[in-house]
Amino acid sequence: MYISLSWLKKYVDIDIPVQELCDRMVRSGFEVEDIQDLSETMKNVVVGKVVSMEKHPDSDHLWICQVDVAAGEPVQIVTGAQNVFEGAYVPAALHNSYLPDGTHITKGKLRGVPSNGMLCSGEELGLKAGDFPGCDVYGIMIMDDTYPAGTDMREVLQLNDYLIDFKITANRPDCNCVLGVAREAAVALGKPFIAPVPAYTEVGGDVHEHIAVRVDDYDLCPRYMGRVVKNLRIKESPDWLKQCLRAAGMRPINNIVDITNFVMLETGHPMHAFDLRDIRGAQIIVRRATEGEPITTLDGKDHTLTSDMLVIADAEGPSCLAGIMGSLNSEIKVDTTDLFLESAKFRRDSIRRTCRALGMRTEASSRYERGLDTIGVELAMERALQLIHDLDAGDIISGVIDCNEGLPVPRKLEVPVQKINDLLGIQVPYDTIVAILNNLCIETTLTDGLLTCHIPPHRDDVEGCADLAEEVMRVYGCEHIVSTPIRGDIVRGRKLPERILTDKVKRILISRQMREIATYSFISSKAIDTLLLEQDDPRRQAVTLLNPLGEEYSTMRTQLLTSMLTVLSTNYNRKIQAGRFFEASKRFMPKALPLTEQPLEIPTLCIGMYGADEDFFTLKGIVESLMDSFSVQPDYASAKEPYLHPGRQAVATYNGAVIATFGEVHPVVAETYDMPVRVYVAEIDLQALFAIEQPQILYKALPRFPAVERDLALLCDEDMPVASIEKIICRAGGKMLESVELFDVYQGAQIEAGKKSVAYSLKFRVPDRTLSDEDIDPVLTKIFKNLKENGCILRT
Amino acid sequence: MKEQLEALRNEALAELAVLSDAKQLEDFRVRYLGKKGSVTALLRGMGALSAEERPVMGQLVNQLRQELESALSEKNTALQQAQQEAQLAAEKLDVTMPGKKIKSGGLHPLNVVLDDLIDIFQSMGFDVVDGPEVETDYYNFQALNVPEDHPARDMQDTFYLADNLLLRTQTSAAQARTMEERKPPIRIICPGRVYRADEVDATHSPVFHQIEGLVIDKGITMCDLKGVLEQFAQEIYGKETKVRFRPSFFPFTEPSVEVDVSCSECGGTGCRVCKGAGWIEILGAGMVHPSVLRMGGIDPEEYTGFAFGIGLDRLTTTRYKISDIRLLFENDQRFLEQFDR
Repeated sequence: MYISLSWLKKYVDIDIPVQELCDRMVRSGFEVEDIQDLSETMKNVVVGKVVSMEKHPDSDHLWICQVDVAAGEPVQIVTGAQNVFEGAYVPAALHNSYLPDGTHITKGKLRGVPSNGMLCSGEELGLKAGDFPGCDVYGIMIMDDTYPAGTDMREVLQLNDYLIDFKITANRPDCNCVLGVAREAAVALGKPFIAPVPAYTEVGGDVHEHIAVRVDDYDLCPRYMGRVVKNLRIKESPDWLKQCLRAAGMRPINNIVDITNFVMLETGHPMHAFDLRDIRGAQIIVRRATEGEPITTLDGKDHTLTSDMLVIADAEGPSCLAGIMGSLNSEIKVDTTDLFLESAKFRRDSIRRTCRALGMRTEASSRYERGLDTIGVELAMERALQLIHDLDAGDIISGVIDCNEGLPVPRKLEVPVQKINDLLGIQVPYDTIVAILNNLCIETTLTDGLLTCHIPPHRDDVEGCADLAEEVMRVYGCEHIVSTPIRGDIVRGRKLPERILTDKVKRILISRQMREIATYSFISSKAIDTLLLEQDDPRRQAVTLLNPLGEEYSTMRTQLLTSMLTVLSTNYNRKIQAGRFFEASKRFMPKALPLTEQPLEIPTLCIGMYGADEDFFTLKGIVESLMDSFSVQPDYASAKEPYLHPGRQAVATYNGAVIATFGEVHPVVAETYDMPVRVYVAEIDLQALFAIEQPQILYKALPRFPAVERDLALLCDEDMPVASIEKIICRAGGKMLESVELFDVYQGAQIEAGKKSVAYSLKFRVPDRTLSDEDIDPVLTKIFKNLKENGCILRT
Repeated sequence: MKEQLEALRNEALAELAVLSDAKQLEDFRVRYLGKKGSVTALLRGMGALSAEERPVMGQLVNQLRQELESALSEKNTALQQAQQEAQLAAEKLDVTMPGKKIKSGGLHPLNVVLDDLIDIFQSMGFDVVDGPEVETDYYNFQALNVPEDHPARDMQDTFYLADNLLLRTQTSAAQARTMEERKPPIRIICPGRVYRADEVDATHSPVFHQIEGLVIDKGITMCDLKGVLEQFAQEIYGKETKVRFRPSFFPFTEPSVEVDVSCSECGGTGCRVCKGAGWIEILGAGMVHPSVLRMGGIDPEEYTGFAFGIGLDRLTTTRYKISDIRLLFENDQRFLEQFDR
């Protein structure tokens, strides 16, 4: 929220540089996001009086003006505008001047005639219609003689000021206004807060003769005040008022609208002005809308209301969405003569709900939503009437409408004073605590160690000891909080088993030259289609966001593959020759759709790689070493994932549970990701892997007797998986067989078509003696027999 | 005969001196010390000597024999040494040529920093816990003192999945869960992913990471909070680092503070990194709000506590001077490999 320094200065004596003010405000809890020096926007532009002018000899539209800028001789400036006249007061940008849009003006020649600057239009000075009299005419801005020639235009436009952007925290709705910030600035600077005391005169009469107000629902509208102003004199606002609004980023409209906006900025309370003649039946009813009741708001939109929404109605129907927006017919118009002015408090959560339900948000509603205090309703009304009086904008009718069910009084809070220091951990002198709270308008006394505080209605946020401690701390100064080293039992923190195991997985993969990636957990709803999954694949059942940033980020991922493929593609298409990546993250699997409870979040590992050195078995080797490190010997079999190469994919299962699926990416899928190369991916279910019980490592005695080795060369069908051959050998080999190692696979000219040759190295050993041929031969015979039964014969 | 002996000795030693390989040495041994060698021949020729001369000459010949044997052995050793030296010299390598690396990969920079943080907080006795990323409205908001339709909800734009389910906007959601599961003294951190509906730009990402910290015990104060954060900051940014509190607001802490650390680049005098401020904002913190304790089943009259939330992404980008947060999620290998360790 931008507030001008000059406005603040009306209510607190600020005698320090703006930067220091801001530093002190920051220290007391009011973050400053920006400081703008308005005078920087314009330089060396002054009021000039045109003393004479003549036609340019070589132009049919240029004028040569002699301009008095109170600097000795008049300055010659050539202008192309046609509305300048002798005696006119105009803004003159002199040689070496700067305009708000950054334009640098220097002297030069126009068609051979020297010109020592430029006469400016309102637009060139950064002004918009209504900002300043005459600023929106076509041509040069013509001013009256209020300011003599030579006056710096920054003074004329009241630009010798600073705009400070305060970030007001959500607990301090009372500070979303000039008075609130001024009150805090006063405390921060140790100066008195000079509250405005509105005064005005009334013309008599009685408000009740003009209108009747009834509040049906005090729960949603705890206070509703109304006044009537007659014989409106609608006109432009004075410059100071316009400048105040402009500084806050609001457009000046006319005196009445400007006054309500000014009061809102100053007190934080939105006001609403009704055209009295449009209030049907001369009656205002503050009530809940009836179910389905229609309203057309000022922005031309039609809404259908529900019974938890509050409206301001007249005898015939709603004319206002309370605290949010008026309807088309009740607004102030050019020919409005009589005014009904509203100042009210509406319940914040009700406004918020209504806004959300209708998709509306206005300056007024956002203020009501944050919460406004009941007492301030009256100050806002008084301040508006004072301005109407001071600006001679209308005749104030006597009598006040003030509907409420009793006004709040300061809440009493009793807190042992030491509890504040106990929470802060420092010893703030008790009398300092009392003084700080009193300065913050929290009337406080201290008796026998007990603080008795009276919390004013605008400080709803102060509920207990902790809140008081914060008030004390921020004014006393956070710099007084010292550091105490951590206390308590000396223990080292523990990690959850899942984190420890994930760390282990990552270490293993890193040692295999893999790099960890981080990708978003939500993906495009279309991403899953790239995997060519069946329509009933559970991975198509994804949780979707109700309010995503866009389609691209709309779906919680049920797999990590598409994110991985995207990363591989990014790298490949940036001409990076090869890459190995992994991501350990979560898959989100809904228990049911539409979602009624939290989905399963399954820790999952995804591996992806491409490059000249990569192949299926490199990937499998990585998967195997991962399994080895968890002492898991899974069964590997061909898999049937549609996104993988039909002949180059495997699934690893352990006790029937799928631990990993991996293989070469189907070329069609790779092509979708703009990768005309071989790509390898694996997805590993970490939850399943971590669930496998880890055997305790126990030392086995080193062998004392040598092993006996035998090599086998076998011939079998080329389709026979070597894993099944190995299984047969192991089963037949019995206890004596220590290890089986495949060392060669051959297919080619030496071998019958459709067959392959596989060679194994077998090791036999027993712990208590050296084996002899007599021991081993019967075992080998059994192995050969079993192999033969399965179509696998010994090569000779 | 003595002269003959002497001549043989001189001749043999002179010959030995110029020999240069094992083969020549063997020839030499055969010629002088072998069965048919010159020295052996001398011994044989002793039969012609008188009985008195024989023992004297015998001794002299044996002396010669021993002398030549040891000279031969020395020469042999010297030759072997020379040979080995020659071989070693021939095997000289250009040691400035590149080594055969066993390359390794690396953690994502976010997790490099996270691991450091976890280590620091573990050493201070914080357990590391986890929480769901899809949270209920209750744990993400209500249990943190943010009731429905409260203006504090505007502080964060929330992604909703269903009426009551959302993507957690803060790891603070772990606070209430922790309080329900554990009894004081509590000392935990909860690192994790959080989500807010921020459009992607150089400093914003709808997915980012936080580390929530929570300490609850008897007599915990703001000074304890500062102590823990100072230790953390000094481990991360260096021993000279100072910590500053600025009053702020979070619904679930009271008092609440924004925490700045002195800029490690300039030491607090102001530079480009800290935009001239001398301080860098790194986290939000405060004393756990009594209502939050109460909702977690902990009596605020008996216990107090503090909580803090560290933005991991910002910590990472400032540590490595990464100019654009989007780099963290783009995963370009040339970016990632800079963090291999």
